[in-house]
Amino acid sequence: MVTPEDFNSDYQNQWCPGCGNFGILEAMKDALATQGIPPEEILILSGIGQAAKTPHFLNCNMFHSLHGRALPLALGAKLANHDLKIIVNSGDGDCYGEGGNHFMHAIRRNTDLTLLVHNNQVYGLTKGQASPTSGLGMTTSLQPDGVISEPFNGPAVALSLGAGFVARGFAGNKDHLSSLIQKAMDHKGLSLIDIMQPCVTFNKINTFEWYKKRAYEADNPDPEDFTQAMNLAMEWGDAIPIGIFYQTKKQDFTSRIKGLEKGPLIFRNYNPEKANAILEDS
Amino acid sequence: MDLNLKNNGILFFYLKAKRKKELFMTTHTNIDLTIKIGGSAGQGIQTIGTLLARACRDAGFYIMAINDFESRIRGGHSFFQMRISDKPVYAPHHRVDLLIALNRETWDLHKDQLKDDGFAILEVPLDSSSKHVVEVEFSTLAKEIGSTLYSNTVAAAAGLSILGASFDKIEALLSRQFAGKEEDIIEKNIKAARMGYDAVKDIRFSRQPFLKTSHPKGRIMEGSRAVALGAIASDCRVAAFYPMSPATSIMQHLTNWTNRLPLVVEQAEDEIAAVNMVIGASFAGARAMTATSGGGFCLMTEGLGLSAITETPIVIVDAQRPGPSTGLPTRTAQGDLLFTIHASQDDFPRFVFAPGNLLEAFETTQKAFALSEKYQVPAIILVDQYMVDSIFMLEQPFTFPKKVERFIIGDKDLKDPKNYNRYALTPSGVSPRALPCAGAARVVVSSDEHREDGHITEDIDNRNAMVNKRKSKLPDMIREMSAPQPLFPEAKTLLLGWGSTSGSIKESVEGLRNVGMDVGCLLFTDLWPFPTAIVQSLLKDPVKTIITVEQNSGAQFGHLLKEQTGISYTHAILKYDGRPFYPIEIMDAVKEKEKH
Repeated sequence: MVTPEDFNSDYQNQWCPGCGNFGILEAMKDALATQGIPPEEILILSGIGQAAKTPHFLNCNMFHSLHGRALPLALGAKLANHDLKIIVNSGDGDCYGEGGNHFMHAIRRNTDLTLLVHNNQVYGLTKGQASPTSGLGMTTSLQPDGVISEPFNGPAVALSLGAGFVARGFAGNKDHLSSLIQKAMDHKGLSLIDIMQPCVTFNKINTFEWYKKRAYEADNPDPEDFTQAMNLAMEWGDAIPIGIFYQTKKQDFTSRIKGLEKGPLIFRNYNPEKANAILEDS
Repeated sequence: MDLNLKNNGILFFYLKAKRKKELFMTTHTNIDLTIKIGGSAGQGIQTIGTLLARACRDAGFYIMAINDFESRIRGGHSFFQMRISDKPVYAPHHRVDLLIALNRETWDLHKDQLKDDGFAILEVPLDSSSKHVVEVEFSTLAKEIGSTLYSNTVAAAAGLSILGASFDKIEALLSRQFAGKEEDIIEKNIKAARMGYDAVKDIRFSRQPFLKTSHPKGRIMEGSRAVALGAIASDCRVAAFYPMSPATSIMQHLTNWTNRLPLVVEQAEDEIAAVNMVIGASFAGARAMTATSGGGFCLMTEGLGLSAITETPIVIVDAQRPGPSTGLPTRTAQGDLLFTIHASQDDFPRFVFAPGNLLEAFETTQKAFALSEKYQVPAIILVDQYMVDSIFMLEQPFTFPKKVERFIIGDKDLKDPKNYNRYALTPSGVSPRALPCAGAARVVVSSDEHREDGHITEDIDNRNAMVNKRKSKLPDMIREMSAPQPLFPEAKTLLLGWGSTSGSIKESVEGLRNVGMDVGCLLFTDLWPFPTAIVQSLLKDPVKTIITVEQNSGAQFGHLLKEQTGISYTHAILKYDGRPFYPIEIMDAVKEKEKH
């Protein structure tokens, strides 16, 4: 029996009181415990940012890496051992900004992992600059005249790239988010959950109340209906849907690689005779 | 004699030799011939180069060959230049004995290199020439087979014919080279070869090396293959890369072998992803590598730092080419030495190696993998376009280890796996490394400065302890470094070289000693951490003239030497035009420096 408390970390939390990340952290513990995955069997990778600190506050195997680079690290780990259960904690800057190229190609590959994008529409770790998802006109100390670029829509981009699982969650709805995370982990292939997350310190526009007023639960009634999925992903205004927008079965990356059907690479054996045969053939 | 066979529809062919007897000079006792075959990109120069190399290897010659090409797929100029000898050769020669020109440009560019008693086979008729020249319309003959694409085979066979090779040999080689292709392609190539062979069958070049053949002296292979074989001898399981000349061929070899080994090769979206995939794979327990050139290495420096602070072993091959930026994409250089030693944020221990020949490439790659894992630091292997694209002869066998030693622990090695500390402080600085999700031990890794348990801290004492821990690996790492290979180390003048220039430097030392000069050399493979004590003892005689020989414009090794040993170099012989050193260039430069 695995409990949410099993994931409690002795390491002192460093987020601001009231941070939306706490909701995500609790939903993750709940999801992992409900799934019966003990701390020693989960690997969490992250980039850099407040979201990327998440695995430090969980009892787990973890690799807190470079800004934007968690996805290629996760792929490398999967290539070595495709039995690994992997969650990636990323932020809007980490995933859609610095790691944008990796985001695109991880979706193309359909790497089997659960990607949680803590989307607070602002840079927290570097103190309040605009992020790729900040709304038009949002003013910050570094964007004093307001943001002049269109916000990046992670779920819509993921859909257009052919992602097999696309969802939006809300840090303020733990049970709903936990359920999304569980479904995402059950999904074979890359699953994206873009999570609306209030930043209590730097985002005075998209506050907890702002999100709470707008978020409404709306799974796509036919998860394979791409048009409806795109409609849900694009819906952003007075009402914002949360739920599974799209889900379809696709072969994941490592199961497409010939040779890996014999088992994870790290459990295979070195054979000097095979290497020598290659030399002899050359 | 002048022959014109165009009338019978086979070929237009005539021999232009002022005095027939010149062509029939006696055979030299020592064979040392250079054959150059050139044309435009897309004419298959590299393919027939390989054929020529195999033919000469099978006939018992020592060979070395360079591939010279422009960064384009069609057009431009490319050539294959092979030296064949009855004694080992490790460097290209600057004069040409047999020039095979598939186009006019090849003749124009290289005719001055042709020796006075050299010979040329040309596609295009010349107005006049004092050289021994035979003109063969390669493309007209090839068209008769069905396509001008066969011109290269016609030309190669003509070259082999003139050198005295038997046609049976050529036929067998073609069948081998095109094995796996359609029967029709093999047949047509053999037909093409027959036409080229017969076109010059009545001509006997003064040099007929194939009259004196013996058993093969070893394997031939490109440097890229030696590095790739070194990787599989290290049990490399994951390779990730982004295509970049001249490194891609290393990944091509590995890719060719993925169906026979537990090995996956992944083409990443960029070099940043490539190096991070390698770090991820290594973290999860697979030995992993990437290969790139200087520009790609620039993008990997962020990941290099990640490997360093997380103490995750990785191997990066930097196949150098001239820069900065795109530079000369298909040419050679040694300009990344100081960059790779210093690249990335802050400073941290790393290994940098530069093999100088095939065996060193094979063995150094294994050393890089082993030491990277033993010390949990990144290891960089510097090769270059000349080394990876050239064909060398391997006289010694490659031996694959029976077992590959891994430096990984598990629960059974830990007293208290539940409280495993990935970065436990130890006297050696190396912390026992467990793998994620492999047992009760949870592996916590962070790119932030971290405590012994892997979690972030900015504590002053911890920061100092962790920097010192990583740095404390250095004394042991230095002890792993091999001394430079010496050749006449007592000589008054010592040439210092590193990496792929070793062949040219060795030959120039021999050449200079033959004319009575007291010259020796030290050839470095293990460059970083710098083996200071060894080098100081080798260079302790203060009257020595020290000449650094490098393929960069800044004498980078010379600066490193001074920085690490306090010993200044006297002169620098530097070449940075993107072409490999010819021994004569080094010899002339040394003679010039010694005059002053």
